[in-house]
Amino acid sequence: MRRAAAVLSVVLVSAPILIASSTAVVGLGALALLLCWLGILVATPVLVSGMVLALGEYALALWLSGGPPRLAGAALLGVVLLVLLETADLGRRAHGATLGPGVLAAQMRACIVVAALTGTGALAASAAAIVASTALRLPWAPVIAAAGVAVTLVAVAFALCARRPPRA
Amino acid sequence: MTARLTPLVLSVVTIVAWGLVLGVSSGRAELVVAVLPLLLGLLRIGRTGTAANGWTLARALSAPRVFEGDRVTVTVTVSAAQPVMLLELFEPLPPTLRLASGHNRGLFTLRAGESVEWRYEVECVRRGRVNLGTLHARLWDRAGLQAAETSIGLPGQLRVYPRPLPLRRLPAPRRMQAFVGNYVAPSLGEGIEPGDIRAFVPGDRVRHVNWRASLRFRQLFVTQHHQERNADVVLMLDTLTEAGAAPATTLDASVRAAAALTAGYLARKDRVGLIEYCGPFRWVRPGSGRAHQERLFEALLRADVMFSYVTQEVALVPRRVLPPQALVIAISPLIDPRFEKALVDLAARGFDLVVLSPSPIPLVRRATRPSARADLACRLWALERRARADALQRRGIAFVDWDPAEPLEAALGGASRARRRGVAR
Repeated sequence: MRRAAAVLSVVLVSAPILIASSTAVVGLGALALLLCWLGILVATPVLVSGMVLALGEYALALWLSGGPPRLAGAALLGVVLLVLLETADLGRRAHGATLGPGVLAAQMRACIVVAALTGTGALAASAAAIVASTALRLPWAPVIAAAGVAVTLVAVAFALCARRPPRA
Repeated sequence: MTARLTPLVLSVVTIVAWGLVLGVSSGRAELVVAVLPLLLGLLRIGRTGTAANGWTLARALSAPRVFEGDRVTVTVTVSAAQPVMLLELFEPLPPTLRLASGHNRGLFTLRAGESVEWRYEVECVRRGRVNLGTLHARLWDRAGLQAAETSIGLPGQLRVYPRPLPLRRLPAPRRMQAFVGNYVAPSLGEGIEPGDIRAFVPGDRVRHVNWRASLRFRQLFVTQHHQERNADVVLMLDTLTEAGAAPATTLDASVRAAAALTAGYLARKDRVGLIEYCGPFRWVRPGSGRAHQERLFEALLRADVMFSYVTQEVALVPRRVLPPQALVIAISPLIDPRFEKALVDLAARGFDLVVLSPSPIPLVRRATRPSARADLACRLWALERRARADALQRRGIAFVDWDPAEPLEAALGGASRARRRGVAR
């Protein structure tokens, strides 16, 4: 489980290097990989910081390369992020435990289904966004995007708080 | 069972937030698209249920009664009436048990009607009644975003008896009882050990005639035999205090020695009793046989240090528990002076008394970091013990100093010599 997570983290940090293989990107990628591996072994927060750094590396690579948006690659990278996080978490839970028959197979099946669904969903959402953006030209687009991000995060936070059981 | 969100949700939200912020600040849509799968993944919360409780647990032990050092296989059977996504089970082990093989935590996925067996092996490191008791269960959803926890009490009583140390020779009692046993009594009667020769009187059996003596003196003589009798042995265990680190404390050593003496004397058909001195007395009346051995081992299982200000006199122990003819073997590290007072009292009452003292010094040395100060303290302690032992010996009490790392049999051999001399070391 941990090996699979380690391989996924290599995939995560090497994707931006394929886009722009500058020294800064490679350096940032190496640091992100180190944090990811450490996080897989030690604790999830360290892994999260490694993944955030990998996102930064991706942003830097995109900024350096310029060019048209690569949405399919981005959706694939998103799927890698999701699967890496869940695999590392399961690896942490399974470490030092007896695994019953069929646990790994069931988890793998679920992971493949989720990866396919979320990847397809992300692609569909981005396609819809492209169609909407060509049909509708909004002034102050960056401000609207920032507002959209803020609304999304607040909505997620509210949704999660609503699911939390009441304190005794 | 109440479901709650796991820290993994916070991790997902953190990455999503960073992705969105980076996307907006860099003006690249790819970063927003990259975190979309994570956002969509959050939609699974509550869909893959953790509310299912259609599963049952059963625990079985390979042996309910074992000796120290034995291994026990714990088998937990998980049966599901409904599909179970991911069930995590954890069985905390008490300090008297050590995991020998397998894991005491397990993850299981079950289909409806399926049942899974989970096995692990534990080693029993210390005597006592062990209750495996509560099993903690955590039901995860597939993604690990939500979990529900519960604790289930399952019967799992394990009795770990002290392992008897090997003993071939035991201190012989000076006084016998009326029942048949393995000791040659001074009194004459039926037996196989030849005693005195006397003139034949009507009623003597022909097979007892000593033909060699009869031919020499031209008169019939018979050989008399010594009776073979048993004895009463009372083990007196000092549970006032203990020294050293578990599972190698003075009390552990004392209990192992008591178990060995119990098994040894009962095998010789003697009656064995037990008095536990923990301030007040707790006792098991002398008896013999297999069932009585179980009773004594059960009492040894319970033996533990119990702090008490109460100090009872030996005179309070009934005669049926402490028969006047009994051999009393007191097992004590000689740390608490109350026990010494009880020993002096017993000796003054004319009991055949042997003190077996498991030395606390090597046990404490093993548990502490070596230093010059510890060496000095141990030397002073050894001198103090020596002074106490001398004081007991001056009162005619046989004293046996026993290093628990050494074989018990060698120490008890010293006891026999000391009792013969009348002064023991």
